[in-house]
Amino acid sequence: MILRRFAIPVDGTIPIPALLYGDEDLLASQDGVGIYDGLQKAVNHQTGAVHVSSHRLFFVNSHQPISHSFSLDLVHIIQTDYYAGLFMSSPKVTLYLDPTFVPPSGSQDGVNDSLESWVCEVCNHRNPPGLSPAAARICALCGVPRSALSSSARPSVSTSSTSQLGSTASSPVALSTLSKFSTPPPPTSELSPVACTACTFLNHPSLRNCEICSTPLPLAPGNPRIHSKSAPVSRPASPLVDDNTSDPANPLIKLSFRKGGDKSFYTILRRALKTRAWEGRQIGKGTRSGTSSLGVVSPAGDLTPGPLRRSGIDGILRSVETSAQNTETELSDAFKDLEALMVKAQDLVHLAAEMNEKLGASSLGPTVNNTASPPAWIPSGTSGSSALSSSLFATTSLVPSSEPEEAKFIRSSLAQLGLQLTNAPVTADMIQDERTWMEELARELAGVLQGSWDEGPEQKPGIMKERGIIGLDEVWGGWNRARGVALIPPSTFLQAVQHLPLHTEPPIRCRIFKSGLRMLHIPAYTHAAFAARLSSHLTISGGQTTSEIAREENITISLATEMILAVEADGEICRDDELSAIRGGGSGSGSELRWALNKFAHYDWDGVVAL
Amino acid sequence: MQMELTPNTTPSGFLLPSIHAAPPFFTEQPTPSTQSLFADHWIRLILSYARHRRLFILRIEDAEGPGSDWDEILRNERINRRVLPSYLSSLIAVLVSKELAVYEPAKQTRSVLLLWRQPEEWAEALHVWATASGQLNTILTFYEITDPPIPSPLSGLPIPLLRKAINVLTRSGRAQIIGVADGEGVRLFSGTK
Repeated sequence: MILRRFAIPVDGTIPIPALLYGDEDLLASQDGVGIYDGLQKAVNHQTGAVHVSSHRLFFVNSHQPISHSFSLDLVHIIQTDYYAGLFMSSPKVTLYLDPTFVPPSGSQDGVNDSLESWVCEVCNHRNPPGLSPAAARICALCGVPRSALSSSARPSVSTSSTSQLGSTASSPVALSTLSKFSTPPPPTSELSPVACTACTFLNHPSLRNCEICSTPLPLAPGNPRIHSKSAPVSRPASPLVDDNTSDPANPLIKLSFRKGGDKSFYTILRRALKTRAWEGRQIGKGTRSGTSSLGVVSPAGDLTPGPLRRSGIDGILRSVETSAQNTETELSDAFKDLEALMVKAQDLVHLAAEMNEKLGASSLGPTVNNTASPPAWIPSGTSGSSALSSSLFATTSLVPSSEPEEAKFIRSSLAQLGLQLTNAPVTADMIQDERTWMEELARELAGVLQGSWDEGPEQKPGIMKERGIIGLDEVWGGWNRARGVALIPPSTFLQAVQHLPLHTEPPIRCRIFKSGLRMLHIPAYTHAAFAARLSSHLTISGGQTTSEIAREENITISLATEMILAVEADGEICRDDELSAIRGGGSGSGSELRWALNKFAHYDWDGVVAL
Repeated sequence: MQMELTPNTTPSGFLLPSIHAAPPFFTEQPTPSTQSLFADHWIRLILSYARHRRLFILRIEDAEGPGSDWDEILRNERINRRVLPSYLSSLIAVLVSKELAVYEPAKQTRSVLLLWRQPEEWAEALHVWATASGQLNTILTFYEITDPPIPSPLSGLPIPLLRKAINVLTRSGRAQIIGVADGEGVRLFSGTK
């Protein structure tokens, strides 16, 4: 049976995380899974949960977790296959196993190194137990293989120091890994406590030293040491048949996913197989069973040191050296790339400039989008006619959306690469162009504001159609949104705004309030016009609050406040703070300001004349 | 809604100016030109009312609630407006800066002695009164001056103000401060030099 050959029985009642090695991770779990041993269903493994870890595959039988659960080292899997399922047939994952694998014979006295903590002979580092076989075989600190030096020093594990007391019994890791080397255990009924020879305490059969007095326990007769150690783990019954029923050349098992979850599980399994976590750090695979604790080279193993195999301080130093060298090489490689890029950068900039010129010449006046390539900058000798046409275009169509889609894309790509040549030398004719560029920008902005911008696919009404006064920030945002590419920085925007009155009808001007607020407005919202309007309103009504004025002017209250304060600063009007009311707050909000004309400038005293 | 601003006479017989019926008059104006105009009117109003009622002391507390001597001008029930203490405080500061009031006691800013007559004028009044009542060259206590048996223009004059007036006379040689048993006294001279 293939299962018998590859699978290692485990106690399924132990939670899976407790079965893992110290450096092993549980990756995925799926229940409702049945196992096919070869091509036939494995009778004892029809319903259970499978768990895949970085090192192993676990099957836990849901009905008889104690006796019919097993683990399978991923190292044995040489190939996987996935079958999606059809009608009544469940999705299956086929695992092809390594046909050359020979299970360690039961008679071998293999005591697993990973069971106990051990002290490295070279660096005196105490390596903790519970690591995976590959990781446990070498010192975690200096990388020296354990057995190479310890072989002579430790004649037998079972008589080793008392520090191992109880460690095996309490560690499920130990149990599950131990079982790998054990012969099929006798029935569980044979479990019996072992009496200590010194104090007669009845010890748990798993213990090797007495729990009370630490005296080494005798081997129970007919119960080899190794058996009692693994006794808590119940085992399947002894094999009755040999594995000649299936094809030994192509051993395989199948996982049948009866409750789904197959796809994700398969993905994770494949990833785990690819990662090959069981190989550990720089340790070649297949050496797992190479050494026993006695230092004897087993037939299946090979102790031949790989090229990386080093030991002692020399090994530590050399590995440090190697890693430093690797880092250096990687760094210099990376910088080489960077240097090459720097060499090419100049060419790239030239290319970008050329491209910009061509784009400008073919589609549109470049003044809109790029300061660096104004028409006059194009060498007249080579592209005189196109430059002429482009400048003609520049005066007629300035809208980015009229650009061909490709040109726009290239332009924005260039802009994103930072290749807009903003550091082009400033010369006299540059400044000349700067001025015309501003003019054109102002013209475009006028279109955005007043709706004469008719080149676009859809006629837009203009931001200021409904309103006579608008915040500068709103205009800037709206304009840049309309442009889409080659956005205008605020500094340029402010410059363009200065040219605005020449291109707008009625002229739109910028007004800066005392608080720093900047607004674009039509003449109806100049200070003088508003003051006159406000005065007449106040004359008629006698007094108005800020919000009443804002409503009348159809502007926001904060803007109204700004404008009223400007009028107030002239002394035209004066305020009446309702805080100074004797009773209540007038309109309900105690702090609202009411405005009245300042009629007291030429007030004639009509009270008591001084005596 | 605009009320025609008219002068109004208070129960104490004081004729309030029409500006006292304008709500903005009770709000401190942020515009300096407007505010200085308003402050001038306020000072004139305060001093003329003080003279009318013979009030000498103005405190910020007078604006904090009804019941003070100043209610008739610091509050206008007809238009539901009053002078806030903060506004009165700044008005007092203006009064002091124009030397129409002095802080009394000194070294605080919540209470002033109003100088609706300057100390020189009070000095003249004192001298005229002493001459008319034949009390030159005799020693007068402060109490005899400020609370004479026959009411005089100096009745109720605060001692600090009286002291200022006497100081003015002393400087021109028409008075001399003399210590007496129960405080201080003054002897007034004809001062004809």
